[in-house]
Amino acid sequence: MASMTVDVSPHAGRGSGPRWFWNALAHGYVWAWMAIFALPFLATLIYSLRTPDGVWTFSYYQYVFGSFRENLLLSFETTLITIVINLLIAIPAAYAIVRYPIPGKSFILSTLNLSLYTPAAVMGVSLVIAYAFLFRIPQTMIGLIGAYVVGTFPLMLVPIIVALRDLPMVFEEAARTLGATRMQTFWRVELPLLGPGISAGILLTFVIIFNEFLVTLFIAGPGLTTAALRVYNLARTAGFQPSTAALATTMQLVSFTVVLLFFHFFGSRYLKGTYLI
Amino acid sequence: MTRVQLVDISKRYGPTAAVEHFNADIADGEFVTLLGPSGCGKTTTLRMVAGLVDPSGGVIRFDGQPMNAVPSHKRNIGLAFQSHALFPHLTVARNVAFGLEVKGTPKAETERRVAEMLEMVELGDYANRMPAQLSGGQQQRVALARMLATDPRVLLFDEPLSALDRNLRDSLKYSILELQRRTRKTAIYVTHDQSEAFAISDRIFVMNEGRIEQAGSQLDIYLRPQTEFVANFVGDNNGIPGEVTGLVAPGGEGEPRLVDLVAGGIRMRGLDPGNVRPGDKVVAFVRPENIEVLANGHVADAPNIVRGRVDQIVFEGPTVRLTVDVDGTPLKVISGGLERLTLLDKEQREILLRLQDVTVVPDDPAVAA
Ligand SMILES: Nc1ncnc2c1ncn2[C@@H]1O[C@H](COP(=O)(O)OP(=O)(O)O)[C@@H](O)[C@H]1O
Ligand SMILES: [Mg+2]
Repeated sequence: MASMTVDVSPHAGRGSGPRWFWNALAHGYVWAWMAIFALPFLATLIYSLRTPDGVWTFSYYQYVFGSFRENLLLSFETTLITIVINLLIAIPAAYAIVRYPIPGKSFILSTLNLSLYTPAAVMGVSLVIAYAFLFRIPQTMIGLIGAYVVGTFPLMLVPIIVALRDLPMVFEEAARTLGATRMQTFWRVELPLLGPGISAGILLTFVIIFNEFLVTLFIAGPGLTTAALRVYNLARTAGFQPSTAALATTMQLVSFTVVLLFFHFFGSRYLKGTYLI
Repeated sequence: MTRVQLVDISKRYGPTAAVEHFNADIADGEFVTLLGPSGCGKTTTLRMVAGLVDPSGGVIRFDGQPMNAVPSHKRNIGLAFQSHALFPHLTVARNVAFGLEVKGTPKAETERRVAEMLEMVELGDYANRMPAQLSGGQQQRVALARMLATDPRVLLFDEPLSALDRNLRDSLKYSILELQRRTRKTAIYVTHDQSEAFAISDRIFVMNEGRIEQAGSQLDIYLRPQTEFVANFVGDNNGIPGEVTGLVAPGGEGEPRLVDLVAGGIRMRGLDPGNVRPGDKVVAFVRPENIEVLANGHVADAPNIVRGRVDQIVFEGPTVRLTVDVDGTPLKVISGGLERLTLLDKEQREILLRLQDVTVVPDDPAVAA
């Protein structure tokens, strides 16, 4: 009878080595890569928890609750405002680009990502020049957010364009024939179905802006130090102190937590794309 | 309670005409079908009635009121799509409620109506499911409930069953007909499937290349095709080019008018299309099931009786399908009943045929080309 059993394991027929060995190898491989990616962060974390004499301590984290809290808040504030502005620009723009025949559409689409390909330093210099001489708004919050929007709205626009393109017209038409106005159709049908694209745009914008420091360095005035810029400044002035590492670790954790929360609340619903099967 | 009129409707996309000079007067409560091959303009016509496509010319009226300038959401219509088009992010109940909610119907009234509609399509227990959790047939039934919930004036169907398998199609088409009969709403149904059209329509509009070829009842379309296209498209047919030789004097009141003609070398007497004269080029059509195989002893010396050689025999169970060569013209013949069994050994033998119910249409050079 034993000869009748069929080995359905994925390793059937490999012919050598017990199954546990291959399993261990596969898992080990994955974990090794995870470790390599996590290593810099872990090193920073450990560095922030030890005095130069090798004593474990949380004391460096006291700086986090000082002025760094304000830096973090400013980061959140600018990121959120930028995301909202990006959304307000990107959703109507995507709608116009996808649903209406506009002249030069392919040119618009191909140049859309231009600002993403511009080196941050070049962008910073250009913006400083433009702000100082054209708009006369150097070193203000408006200027900073303007810079962020210019630099990142394609990150919001492109995923929404893709989502809207993939959204069959039939849902809009069904809504219209059922008596929905254009506005009702947009709010009740299109916006929820664009969820995956919008979520992707929000996430990308958040990750980029929250961690951005180079353009900020050029644009932001003395009163406008974001968390990322603060970490950079500290590394430059104070050197790689455990206190610097503590701020860096905190920033990393905050950024991480936001992304994880985002996935938790929207991930299963939107990012897996289960909506449109 | 809505009469739908399409007066000289056309739609052009650049140089191509999707629909041309479409005229239809659809009575209140009537179920009409637009039947035609893919690309003939059925969907475009339907979408113009729905307000999703603007006609290039012509007027659409509901109960006499012009609708051209009325946007889709104010026409109060129900449209069923080829794909069910249920909103994937809303439950079954919310889908059915959609049309009521956007019109601001009170919540209690909406809930009552949704329950009633789901009951009607026998999906009362599925209110809280998501569309993706239903089978194809259930999804299409929810779509029907959704389009009926708002009590529309006109029901429009764009091949709603074409994505389903055959058994489901057969049962659902009768459900659709029954719902339409019960609600007494005017319905326009688009399909390329003639059996579907024949099963459910009060009247069929056969379309080809953006135009109406013929409009009429199933019997009109099947027994009295007026164009070569209709004769070929609906059912199986033998089309034989020929020439009118004379008009037959009418037999009496209510008798059909007949013409004499010669087609494929065969002398025939067929139904007068009403617009031909002796010498006109025509095409004679005779359906395979209307060709009778005659027993020995008949003579081939009367109109519509011909001698031919059996080329091929296919036994299909209830019927036998023959291909008979008549002086170089191949004729398809379908024989049923017990006599079919006597034909099985006739391969390469001569048999005598009687062509019955011959219809005649004027030769249309455009179709022949
Ligand atoms: N939006 C459009 N743009 C250009 N041509 C179209 C459009 N919609 C339909 N057509 C053309 O019009 C003709 C009729 O199409 P349609 O009404 O969809 O046919 P059917 O529903 O009978 O298959 C086809 O030749 C099709 O290619
Ligand atoms: Mg179609």
